[in-house]
Amino acid sequence: MLLGVVSCSAADPLDADVPGVEPDVVDAEDIRLTRQGDPDAYRRLIERHQVHVAKILWRFSRDRSVHEELVQDVFVEAYLSLNTFRGNAPLSHWLARIATRVGYRYWKEKARQKEAEAFSLAEWDQIADDRNTVEQLDANQAASLLHRLLEQLPPRDRLVLMLRYLEGYDVAETARRTGWTKTMVKVQALRAREKLRKLVERSGMELI
Amino acid sequence: MNWEEKFMLLAARARAEEIPHVNVAPEVLTLLTSGRPEPLTVAENLWMWLAAGASAVAVPAAVVAVSAYNASMGPLREIVNSISWAM
Repeated sequence: MLLGVVSCSAADPLDADVPGVEPDVVDAEDIRLTRQGDPDAYRRLIERHQVHVAKILWRFSRDRSVHEELVQDVFVEAYLSLNTFRGNAPLSHWLARIATRVGYRYWKEKARQKEAEAFSLAEWDQIADDRNTVEQLDANQAASLLHRLLEQLPPRDRLVLMLRYLEGYDVAETARRTGWTKTMVKVQALRAREKLRKLVERSGMELI
Repeated sequence: MNWEEKFMLLAARARAEEIPHVNVAPEVLTLLTSGRPEPLTVAENLWMWLAAGASAVAVPAAVVAVSAYNASMGPLREIVNSISWAM
């Protein structure tokens, strides 16, 4: 095995920050050491990036055990393809793409098994259509509502709406994350928005 | 406020949500040390494809060789059977 004896400390991820050193430089050194079989180097990489990866995957699953498994999958996949990482972009960008792919795969699998959570449009309607009410809504409640609302759409539409509007990424970043072209992102976003409009206006119930 | 503005405002609220803390390092390292495959190097990849190619040739060749052997053994087996009383 490449990773021999592994010692895992429960260090706080923030401890991994090295003052005065660019994170990318620290990452590059730990990537080099990981490729040479140093398990502690990979542990440091995980601890440094797991918060970022967890944040991305929380949009894909709000079930804590599933969420944690998805985060694990990202780091296992990243390790197995670490030799393909060329270091031209920060590791966090590369991990974000893997996380998006892992999350999307999970959505597709869930959609195949028709496991969407029950969602009533009454929940959407209950929130009054005035700015103040929405702005005073609990962040967790808002995120949960949008998660279940978007779950009613096919994974492809859901992904583009999530990246563009929930994460607030522009077309270029969405294209980078998904591996689609910018044109495809624009077209997909347009279609997805239309499906969402139909859904909230109760005229598109045959979406999945 | 139309549905889209409402959606955008909800999305903005959702961005402020706190994410659960995770620490997956021990599990990931355990998975990687307990029989998960290591990343393949370029040389290993080449060997893998070479082995796959060799197997693809070897299996049909073995089938042909066994049939040829059986066919050629016919006359010999007759001779052996005819003198088996002497053995």
